[in-house]
Amino acid sequence: MLKYNFKYELKFLLRSRWIQLLYIILLIVFGFSVFNGKQKVDKIKNTIVAAEKQVKENDIMMLKLIDSIEQGYKVSVPRWTVPTNPMAIGNYHPRVAAMKPLQLSFISTGQADLYTSYIKPTVSADDYALNFTEMTSPIQLLFGSFDLAFVIVYLIPLLIIAFSFNVFSSEKERGSLRLIASQPIQINIWLLQKLGLRFFWLSIIFISTITIILLIVSSEIFLQPRIYITLLALTLAYMFFWFVLAFIINIWVGSSANNAVALIGLWIIFVLLVPSVLNQLGNTIYPMPSRTLMINEMRAKKLEVTEKQDEILDNFLRDHPEYATNDPSQTTGFYHRYIASQKLIKEEMKPLVNTFENQLKNQQNLTRSLKWISPALIMQESLNKLAGNSTEDYENYRIQVINFAETWREYLNTFLFNNLDFSTNDYINLPKFEMIRDKFSVTSAILTLLLISISLLLPGLVFLNKDFYFDE
Amino acid sequence: MITTNNLTKIYGEQKALDQLNLRVNQGEIYCLLGANGAGKTTTINLLLGFIKPTSGIALIDNMSVHQNSQETKKKLAYIPENLMLYSSLTAIENLDYFSGISKKEFSKSELETFLIDAGLQKEVFNKRISTFSKGMRQKVGIAIALAKDAKALLLDEPTSGLDPKASNEFGLLLQKLCKKGVATLMATHDLFRAKEVATSIGIMKDGKLKEQFKGDKISLSKLEKVYLNTMDYKS
Repeated sequence: MLKYNFKYELKFLLRSRWIQLLYIILLIVFGFSVFNGKQKVDKIKNTIVAAEKQVKENDIMMLKLIDSIEQGYKVSVPRWTVPTNPMAIGNYHPRVAAMKPLQLSFISTGQADLYTSYIKPTVSADDYALNFTEMTSPIQLLFGSFDLAFVIVYLIPLLIIAFSFNVFSSEKERGSLRLIASQPIQINIWLLQKLGLRFFWLSIIFISTITIILLIVSSEIFLQPRIYITLLALTLAYMFFWFVLAFIINIWVGSSANNAVALIGLWIIFVLLVPSVLNQLGNTIYPMPSRTLMINEMRAKKLEVTEKQDEILDNFLRDHPEYATNDPSQTTGFYHRYIASQKLIKEEMKPLVNTFENQLKNQQNLTRSLKWISPALIMQESLNKLAGNSTEDYENYRIQVINFAETWREYLNTFLFNNLDFSTNDYINLPKFEMIRDKFSVTSAILTLLLISISLLLPGLVFLNKDFYFDE
Repeated sequence: MITTNNLTKIYGEQKALDQLNLRVNQGEIYCLLGANGAGKTTTINLLLGFIKPTSGIALIDNMSVHQNSQETKKKLAYIPENLMLYSSLTAIENLDYFSGISKKEFSKSELETFLIDAGLQKEVFNKRISTFSKGMRQKVGIAIALAKDAKALLLDEPTSGLDPKASNEFGLLLQKLCKKGVATLMATHDLFRAKEVATSIGIMKDGKLKEQFKGDKISLSKLEKVYLNTMDYKS
């Protein structure tokens, strides 16, 4: 039976122009979404390149100035920007701490449209500027831009529904099912084969169209076939889930209209409703404290410490003897007091910042623990991971930037508190930022999708063993 | 070949079929006459195993339809009132598909022979079913039965809507199959065609078999009279 179903299902799909239609639709939506994503990624890349170029140009000027000063020339720049002053380096010649896009970044915008792709941490800026408290759970990102992830998560299930909702019911409604059922075959196996073949053909169409589009737009991806295969495997597992749903609905629901309504209803539940409910649940169980409160407290704390900066500096030097020298010529100025007060502010603000961060983490953990309820969520999160734009990626970036900012300050503070000038020889030792990406795997996501699909398929397969009867 | 023993089907309060006893031997054409709702289609659905009987048994070649569904379906062919084949496939493709899923594989020339035997003209073999008239589709249905080498044929008002010529051709085809030993049970409203082709005729009303005759023992006018009397019509 499979041989004949295979042969004639293909003929049927070709003659009813389903295959041609799907090719056209997928080429258009994949083409547009990949182009769209690529544009965004190129923009990010260009922004980072421009920022790095600007730093390089500034560095050339800076080194020239230092060289002039070292040779005893007088330079005509404002006093506070003279580059032998370590705080001038720290504030006016920061390094670029960039989160460079990955090869597959164009597939999913993820958090990329919410957060900056690079930061230039300075010695005087506080870490709260790096506090991504607006970072949301990936659920909200489901309502994102028209990228490949949007097409896969939202549109592919709709195409599968259109392609499979009436495989059984249309035969029933046309009357051909009676002729089929009069043959010595098991109707449910026949239906399983028909839907299985549709999954097969849609998979072939998906693989070929996405491959064509990637070859045109981003052929370098094929240099890393693992990424390409992972993307395919993930999407096929997600498509399989929707075909399983279609199979169940075809067996258990009646007319084509009812099937369509049932499948659209499931699409709304899995793609829209569950993510939204989980989002609300996260906000209700772990509400974020007021950001205004945090800013007000921060201001009050700043005011308080500014008023007693001399006392703070004394305490700071007592706590950090490495910065306190016995050189009687050492003078303390604005930056000495500022750095010391910043440290204090940071420590005092820690509990409040932690409250924000913990609530955010709790929200994300809740979502993570319940994401299996919606395969759309699993899919979106996995595509974000593949694209390197996931919540975890940005959290990782944030932590690395904060650490880098600390390294940057510490490096230049040594000069400040030892009354040392910054020289051309020190330039090479300036801390540099290189983001280290966490290793990730979407294998568990693929397995979860398959597990969900199989656990749904099982009742259907049990039903397969029963004899088929027309509605009585 | 086709047998029903006290076959009964009840839907809720309504008896669709009441203790039907019927026997169609090889080479016989049994025509079931009756008004709409008399139980003709229910009988055919029960013989096809499409619905479960409330009581009684339906047999094809002495095998219970409901206990040996796959085996009995191998031996029977079915042509409904509107034979819905795959409209985007050609006649020969439809025949190949329905034979194939029944695990009967034929070469192209063999398939063509079945279509010729069913009375279809060669020039339409490769035309899509969507362009076929009802009569032509019924012939493809006969070809499917021939390819299946069916021993029993179940027909549910197959000549309804056919023009007299097509109806006559269909009748001749049935007689041809009859000579090959096929047992045919045909539910119909068409008294004339029943008289023409049937070896036995039964009249059903309210799920019961009210009258039975040998086809050659009754004239068309008498058949009509008995039919109308059974239906309580005043002529």
